[in-house]
Parts: sequence; C-alpha cells; structure tokens
Amino acid sequence: MNIVVTVKQVVDPNLPADFISVDPASQRIVSTYGLPPVMNGYDANALEAALKLREAHGGKVTVICLGDGASRNTLKRAHAMGADAVVLLSDPAWADLDSAGTGRVLAAAIRRIGDVNLVLCGRQASDTDAGQVLFWIAQELGMPAVCPVARVEESGEEALLVHRLLDDGYQRVRVRLPAVLGVSSEMNDPRAPSMKGTMIASRALAPTWTASDLALPPVQPKLKMRKQDIQLRTSSARLIEGDTAAAKGAALADRLHEAGLL
Amino acid sequence: MAGVLVLGGLTEGEFDRSLLQAAGAAAPLANAMGAPLMGALIGPSLSAAAEAMQCGLSALYLAEGTQFAPYAADAYVRAAQAAIEASGASTVVIPHGGVAREWAPILAARLQAALVMNCCAVSVEDGQLLATKPVNGGSVLAQFEVLGDLRIVTVSAGDFEPLPTGQAVTPRHLEVTALPDAPVQVLSEEVQSAEGVRLKDAKKIVAGGRGVGGPQHWHRIEETAAALGASVACSRPVADSGWVPSRHQVGLSGTTVAPELYIAVGISGAPQHLAGITGAKMVVAINTEAGAEIFKRANWGVVDDYEQVLKGFNERVAQLRG
Repeated sequence: MNIVVTVKQVVDPNLPADFISVDPASQRIVSTYGLPPVMNGYDANALEAALKLREAHGGKVTVICLGDGASRNTLKRAHAMGADAVVLLSDPAWADLDSAGTGRVLAAAIRRIGDVNLVLCGRQASDTDAGQVLFWIAQELGMPAVCPVARVEESGEEALLVHRLLDDGYQRVRVRLPAVLGVSSEMNDPRAPSMKGTMIASRALAPTWTASDLALPPVQPKLKMRKQDIQLRTSSARLIEGDTAAAKGAALADRLHEAGLL
Repeated sequence: MAGVLVLGGLTEGEFDRSLLQAAGAAAPLANAMGAPLMGALIGPSLSAAAEAMQCGLSALYLAEGTQFAPYAADAYVRAAQAAIEASGASTVVIPHGGVAREWAPILAARLQAALVMNCCAVSVEDGQLLATKPVNGGSVLAQFEVLGDLRIVTVSAGDFEPLPTGQAVTPRHLEVTALPDAPVQVLSEEVQSAEGVRLKDAKKIVAGGRGVGGPQHWHRIEETAAALGASVACSRPVADSGWVPSRHQVGLSGTTVAPELYIAVGISGAPQHLAGITGAKMVVAINTEAGAEIFKRANWGVVDDYEQVLKGFNERVAQLRG
C-alpha cells in the first residue's frame, strides 16, 4: 500500500494565550518565548495509522509537509517515527496560502509521488482549526474523502472499512481506494521515535520541492486574513474558602443554591 | 439574483434551533446586501421542520427523501448544490457542527467556493463579507475577507440569536438523484443513545479532566452529575485515553455546549476546551493547581483535592435538594 501522510508544523497548541503572539509580518501565530513548534497532533495520529497499515500490508509511507525550512524538524520526527521518505514543500509563493491553495500544492505533490492508494491527513490543524485542506486535496485528486475517522476496522487493497465519528456515535463506512481520510485522535496513540529512527533521520536531508518542481501556477486566494486578536483572559475565579476540602465543597453547593442553580 | 441561503441538514428529521440561529446570522447579511434571505433543508422527512423554519424567508427549498438517512456526504452535497442552483444564492450560511464539518467543505471544494467554518461573527462591510472564527484552539480570533462569487460560512449557532417566526412561504421541493455507485458506502450506524439530554442541549454539566486520575475514579464525576441531574462531559485527554466515549467530549473538536452551570473537575483549561464552553453561563472549576488556566474562565473556583470537595458538595446538595 502506497500511503502519503500530510503533516503541518504548528505552534504548541497547549501554550496559553499569554505565551503566544501574532507575528506582524507573516500574520502567523508564534510562541512569544521561542518555544519550539510541534507536529500537529492529529497529523501524528495520521502518521501512526499509516505506519500500522504498512506493518499489516507492506508498502511505503511518504510524509509531505508544506512549510518553511523550520518545518524540517517536524519532518525529522516523522522520519524518526518510521516514515520511509519525507519531502518538504517550500516556496516563497506559498507563504500565505489558504486551505484551497494548500490543498492544491499538497495534491500536486501527491500526484508527483504517483500511484498513491491512500492519503492520510489529520482532521484539522491546531493553529488554523480550519479542517478543510484534506477535502481540497480530495477534490483536486478526484478521490473520496471521509472525516473524522476514529478507527480502521478492515483494510484491503481495494477498500477500507472505517469508523466515521458522529456527534452521538459512529458510522461504519466502506470507502473505495484511492481515498483521503481525516484522522481523529481516537484512532491511536502515536509512537515515540525509535533510537534507530532518530539516528537515520538525523543523517538524512529531506528533499525540497518548489512551485516549479510541481509545475504549479500561482492561484487566486479565496480568503484574505484581516486580523488576528489574541484572547487574553484577565479575569479570575472567586475562590471558595473553607477549613477542609469537604467544607469547601459544601460552601460551593450553598453558593450555587443561592444563585438558583441547584 | 444573488441572495443569502440558510442551509441545513436534519439527518434524524427533527428540527434544530441552530437553523433559526443560522438564519439570525444570515438575516443582517441579506439586509446589508439588499438581497433576499432564503432557506433550504435536507433530510429524510421535513414537513415539521419546514413549518418550524418559517421565519420570514422569501423562499424555502426542501431536499427530502430516504437517501438522506443515514447521513452520506455525497447525497447532502448534491442536495446543497441543487439548493444553491435553484436559489441563485451567492452567500450560504450553514449551522456548524456534526456532519456539516464534512459535507460543507466537500461542497465548497466541489464548487470551488470560499469557505470559513465555525464562525462566531459574520458581517458585510463595503459589500465585503467578513467572517470571524476562533483559531489556535480558541486562544485567537481571526477575521477573514471571504472572496469570490460563491461564499460559504458555517456558523457557531450559540453565538447568534434565533430569528423569530415570520411570514410563511410555500416550500419548493428539489429533485436530488443519488449516485448509484458512490465510492463511500455507509454500512451501518452505531448511535449510542446518550442517557438523558444531548450534551449540546444540557442545562447542567459536570465535566472531568485528566486531573480526575483515571477511569477507576470516573464514577465520582457521574455521582455528582446524578446528584445535580446534570449531564456528564469530559476534556479531550480523557476521551483520547478512552476513559469515556468521545461523544462526551467538550471543546473545539468535540461538542460546543452552553449550559446554565458547568462544573469543570480536574480540567486544566486548554484553549481548545475553553472554546467549547464560551456559551456557559456559570463556570465552576475544581482543581488542585491554583495556577490552572481554567480559573481564568471560571466564575467560582475551589483549589483542593476534588474527591473530598465533591464528597462535601454532594452531601450538601442532597440536603439542599432533599
């Protein structure tokens, strides 16, 4: 099975609002204190799912990442986790792409890789929370897309049987290959990079594909970012006091009772 | 003629207030554009919903049929395409959440339309559609200009007031044919009938986080919820660890809730969780870490061991309610 996984490097989503700022030049969200960016969490789930499918069926896992040179760190982690090949997609023309534009670049790269049976993406990126790119990839490649996927129940060369999450349950869905899946965090726990993988990855240099490599003309944006406002929280809770934890609990019940909430 | 179309799917057939809230988001756009406000519903059985949707629309389109349950993206997208074509809409407003997270972007990609999902504010300025949404897990609000001839937004319904009942129009039915050999086939649906009310409609919620300590302690959350007549919810790490099914998960990638009372137990308050409780009226946080982010969102806080706090709380609640 020839699998491509798309990954994105993002600012650590667990940083509180007062640890991030908006870079005025790029309009990107960055860590104020220079804390290192990370692989998008759902993308790590997608990569883990790809590695498991390779273990079951053989084949190849290629990880592609659209970003600047700094994204090599995320590709190194992907390589160290066990990806067979990693490719950086980088071009100044791609600095401010929206979801549609990003999908077009990733789709062109997948086409260049060729004979791909399955594209696995994280269900959304934790920085933009857009949840769109995988659908634009699918449209570009003429493949079906299913998202969010919580489990692969059966896998074959022709089709996969997956669980697609609903608000109150899931659907068992058979999707014909080639296809694009948006992987959710329920799918698995991503493995840590192995010692051997880390050594291999540290010596390898990911190839870079540019717009001319992919023969991609510039695209009209569909969205234009106007501004980003960080939502700082300054207020804080009124603390309930008491001699013991249980007394605090009882006092809390009294407060809620007074507020008519019980 | 260009217009604004409120578009929603009703997989189970029952009407959802979020459609009137989406209409509430869409009406000012139609006003600002001087364009008609129209509606379209997709579902297996729509007669009751079509009546509930009468909020002064200038047209109402129905895509009704057995092919819309269980939900399958392709059928919904085809119906949405038919509604957009029939209405001639240039702006489409969809209630965010559930399966719309899948079919709305497939629709946008198929029509090469601009799309912004999960908007908390939408407006028209100088003829330009602006859409604001939480990003980076809710710690940042981003505002976009939505460009192009066809623009789609999904709106976080709780952030908008529902449109009141208005003059009725006679619904028009759309013919939507199903793809005979679709590449995605739904084999079965496993719906876990949630005990009590659905989380998104719950008035009281007791939610547990990683600080609860493990699945063996989860009964403490359930006991407190039972004492209050509240629904049980959890943070993402709890769902990811499999302590409870992910349908209980509150947050940006789970359910958005707007209860009168939200008690967060052992929840640190990651931005993506807080983004799911922006509509909660009273938030109580119980956590051993006084510096936890949740205390910045909470109205009341208790810094102590949650097991003992809940023990005292439950006993007092039993007295007060008994």
